[in-house]
Amino acid sequence: MISMQEPPIAAETTEDKLVAKGVDVYYGAFHAIKDASLAMRGQHVTALIGPSGCGKSTFLRALNRMHDLTPGARVDGCIMLDGEDIYGPDADPVVIRHRIGMVFQRPNPFPKTIYENVVYGPRIHGERSKSTLDAIAERALKQAALWEEVKDRLQRSALDLSGGQQQRLCIARAVALNPEVILMDEPASALDPIATSKIEDLIGQLTDDYTVVIVTHSMQQAARISDFTAFFHLGEIVEVGPTSQIFTHPKEKRTEDYITGRFG
Amino acid sequence: MAVVATRAPRTVTASGSVRVRKTTDATATIVLWIMASSIIVLLAAFIVYMVYLGWTALTPSFIFGRPQETTAGGGVGPEIFNSFYILILTLLFTIPIAVSAGIYLQEYALPGTFRNIVQFSAESLATVPSIVMGLFGLLIFVYTFHWGYTALGGALTLTLLNLPALVRVTQEALASIPDTLREASMGLGGTKWQTITRVVLPSAIGRLTTGVVLIAGRIYGETAALIFTAGLSVTANHPYDISPFHTAETLAVHLWYTHSESVVPDVDRIGNGSALVLLIMVLAFNVAARIVGRRLTKHFTGRTS
Repeated sequence: MISMQEPPIAAETTEDKLVAKGVDVYYGAFHAIKDASLAMRGQHVTALIGPSGCGKSTFLRALNRMHDLTPGARVDGCIMLDGEDIYGPDADPVVIRHRIGMVFQRPNPFPKTIYENVVYGPRIHGERSKSTLDAIAERALKQAALWEEVKDRLQRSALDLSGGQQQRLCIARAVALNPEVILMDEPASALDPIATSKIEDLIGQLTDDYTVVIVTHSMQQAARISDFTAFFHLGEIVEVGPTSQIFTHPKEKRTEDYITGRFG
Repeated sequence: MAVVATRAPRTVTASGSVRVRKTTDATATIVLWIMASSIIVLLAAFIVYMVYLGWTALTPSFIFGRPQETTAGGGVGPEIFNSFYILILTLLFTIPIAVSAGIYLQEYALPGTFRNIVQFSAESLATVPSIVMGLFGLLIFVYTFHWGYTALGGALTLTLLNLPALVRVTQEALASIPDTLREASMGLGGTKWQTITRVVLPSAIGRLTTGVVLIAGRIYGETAALIFTAGLSVTANHPYDISPFHTAETLAVHLWYTHSESVVPDVDRIGNGSALVLLIMVLAFNVAARIVGRRLTKHFTGRTS
């Protein structure tokens, strides 16, 4: 069990972008996340792994206040983004979700054109200039490794893209806002192996600019793409550390049992 | 390959039960096809018959002329105008109220007493027969407000009549939009209002258009509620009177009136002509609304279908 006072990667706190301290999440009476603390390092990939129902997605959604939208859900504890509590009294969820973007499990492009999907975020935050929006769209689509495939059909419906392309479009839509952190909830679980490997390559490139926190049910994926791994079980963070160490020398028995395939 | 060769050959001739299943399948396909086609045949037969009866009546003096009380040769110009006028007035009242109420019920209201009361009221309103709604309109607009028979009174009565249906349509259109789209918008820092106006409503525009087309058909065809509120005559001073406070007999009401009350000698000619004009108006509105709906869908989604 990780103590509240000591976030796991305490030695390098100056580089930690997002720090959760003693986070509890409740759905009504159900205590879904129990006293979870985790520091997520800037411009690195932190993977959240664990068996189904362990709370990893619930924890991820707490990181940009998506639980605000779920009736009956409650989050206690504090989550610091650059030292400011995103659940503090002055924190504005709209601003937080601007700074902390999210990519969901299933590709969920809007039923709009490819272009309108990418510029949706900048538009709702007040950007009106056509040339600025064009530049943002091109930059975001290039960052999401989709530009070459769609540059000639930006005015076509996003729904005509393949599943893998749609998911990269959703990543482009998130990076269009230039967020500081990108949360990904099993972003490749609905995709075929080729599309999955494209997304994985992309995640590696995104850390040039962004901090990535990714939930995955695939331990191989976590091992391939992440720098740090947190293992969740029954709503608790059992162990957290550099990915190589978690997968080769786990300290906790439960972590070892999970990664060697004894449960989950 | 050797492995395949060792397996016992599978029989490819249809056994008895397979043949029965295939026959059932073919029969079902044919029966369902006939059922579906019969709708088209019925509609086509209906249209052909009405055109056959009514087309000789469609002269300029009929389409643009004024109705006659006692002599032959009356037209339906003001009635065509009134039907369209009351339709527009009614939609002007109905769409904003119904869509707002639908948005509130579907997107904002938490389950609870208030939502239940609104829902119950809407459903009760939907079960009120149009003739009763007409009498209600008579009491309120004609007698209490001292308006007399007016286009406005008729349109307000039709608004009451059609609100529940459009509220329901709006709710169902919004419910059909997956929550993942709302999450995506909120996840990008969108407010609830931005999410509704920029994602949810544009995605639902196709279904909303269908709903508006359906109630427009009902408004064109409505008689009972209008007889007591918009009246049985057209304004005396001007055939195309845009004042909402004029007496405004619609085409459907005129159709009923000539057949049941009037003493003009050419009742059949006027009746058949009116029915055909009404049919053309309904079909034309239907087509126009679908074109608009498709344009809007294309505009918002980049898709043609």
